[in-house]
Amino acid sequence: MTYPEALQELVEEFQAIEDKRERLEMLFELADEVVELPQDQWDDETRVRGCQSEAHVRIGIAEGRIQFLSAADARMVQGLMGILTIALDGLTPAQAVLIPPTFAEEMGLLNTLTPSRSNGFRNMYDKVMTDLRQNRGD
Amino acid sequence: MLRDQFPILQRKVNGHPLVYLDNAATTQKPQVVLDAMNDYYSKSNANVHRAVHTLAGEATEGYESCRSKLKQRYNAERAILTSGTTEAINLVAHAWGRAKLQSGDVIVLTEMEHHSDIVPWQMLSEERGVELRYVPVSQDFTLDMEAFEHALDGAALVCVVHTSNVLGVRNPLEEIIEKSQAVGARVLIDAAQGLPHSTVDFQSFGADFMAFSAHKMCGPTGIGALLVTQSAFDEMEPFMGGGDMIETVTIEGSTYQTNEHKFEAGTPRIAEAVGWTAALEWMESFDLDKEHSRLIDIASWVAEQLRGLGMNVYGRHGEHDAAVVSFLHPTINSEDMAHLLDARGFAVRTGHHCAQPLLHRLGISGTVRASFYIYNTREEAEALVEELREIVEKFA
Repeated sequence: MTYPEALQELVEEFQAIEDKRERLEMLFELADEVVELPQDQWDDETRVRGCQSEAHVRIGIAEGRIQFLSAADARMVQGLMGILTIALDGLTPAQAVLIPPTFAEEMGLLNTLTPSRSNGFRNMYDKVMTDLRQNRGD
Repeated sequence: MLRDQFPILQRKVNGHPLVYLDNAATTQKPQVVLDAMNDYYSKSNANVHRAVHTLAGEATEGYESCRSKLKQRYNAERAILTSGTTEAINLVAHAWGRAKLQSGDVIVLTEMEHHSDIVPWQMLSEERGVELRYVPVSQDFTLDMEAFEHALDGAALVCVVHTSNVLGVRNPLEEIIEKSQAVGARVLIDAAQGLPHSTVDFQSFGADFMAFSAHKMCGPTGIGALLVTQSAFDEMEPFMGGGDMIETVTIEGSTYQTNEHKFEAGTPRIAEAVGWTAALEWMESFDLDKEHSRLIDIASWVAEQLRGLGMNVYGRHGEHDAAVVSFLHPTINSEDMAHLLDARGFAVRTGHHCAQPLLHRLGISGTVRASFYIYNTREEAEALVEELREIVEKFA
């Protein structure tokens, strides 16, 4: 499928950057896009397993649209969350579950990240999609 | 030049020259080790200890030459070849621990241990009801020796790490062994981080077991050794059953080999043994003490520079410690730091380094660790400091 427009733009922006350090810096900047899940709301339900650092996500639905709250102690993980925040913004759960995880690879982020972090990203993606399906009533 | 003998050090990572500073995890291999393993597979590959044909003889000689080399280099009566330090420690837990320890017996460990010197004993404790006592680590990154002496009361076994993989701190092993022997306890030394930086005369050292790995001293992965005194060896019962470790097998039962083969069931790591022998011989081509002295000077300089950049540095970098610099910045996440360094070609380690009890004692969940080895240069250390300075200025 094609990505939502904002996500497609991000994919192209990352693809235009050759230097790994610059890709990392851009990822760090995307951490600012996160709608923060306050630390007092972190629990086992919100925890992303398999991440080397502490990472938490929560899906809410308001008027049929997704509200994605997240937080992590590493700027890099927050950057990945920022990408998901942009990707999911304004979508319905039914639209969002159609987004494949391939965008991270296309952005060159799976090369940028260590295997464990890549697995962490995949675990985060899977958790978000599972939570979305539950919200959708699957 | 010593460094030129390591082909991997010529490569670039992310467009930058590789600066490999993850040596406490594994070291790189010189060409002679790569050649020895390639030659073995190209010319002599066969199984060991069985057939009479020429290749089998060469393979057996290659494998056994590793054991001979280890016994000679470390003056050990027994050298059991294992997959590495972890298997060596597990072997002691199964072959000696199960034969000798029962409910109520005491094992003394330290908070500084790698998980591989904690978990096997926890498993044995659950199985046998053995009591585990942990010697705490003080704020100066050394063992609380007063607590150690208290813990020794009634101990059957003392397990202690030679040199911490997180802190680089070398423990007062001579004192620990002497005091343990005074109460009749056997002593196991986890020397995975110690032997790459120093050598030892095992018999005069006084420990009963010493575990270490080839890959942290320029040898291949997948092989290590357990040095054992003859008296401790005589107390060990076979652990893993199979080919090569038996003398006879009948339907009614089996009898076992009486030498190290008793603990090396199955086809062993022949090419790895050949590679390790080459690494051990190669290490005799330079003065390890002199190299260590150079590295600890570098590590101590790096530690001082990092403190100047506002980093918290964990370790003391004394004369006999390993050249390991563990550090954290107050505001830059350690994982982020390592990724930024990797983007410029620097290979460092982050995380808990398989020593969570130690990190818990220090009140942290992980560090960034730069660990230096014989091929690292002062220029690389200076480049690391400069890169970290740039990272701190930009991201703190």
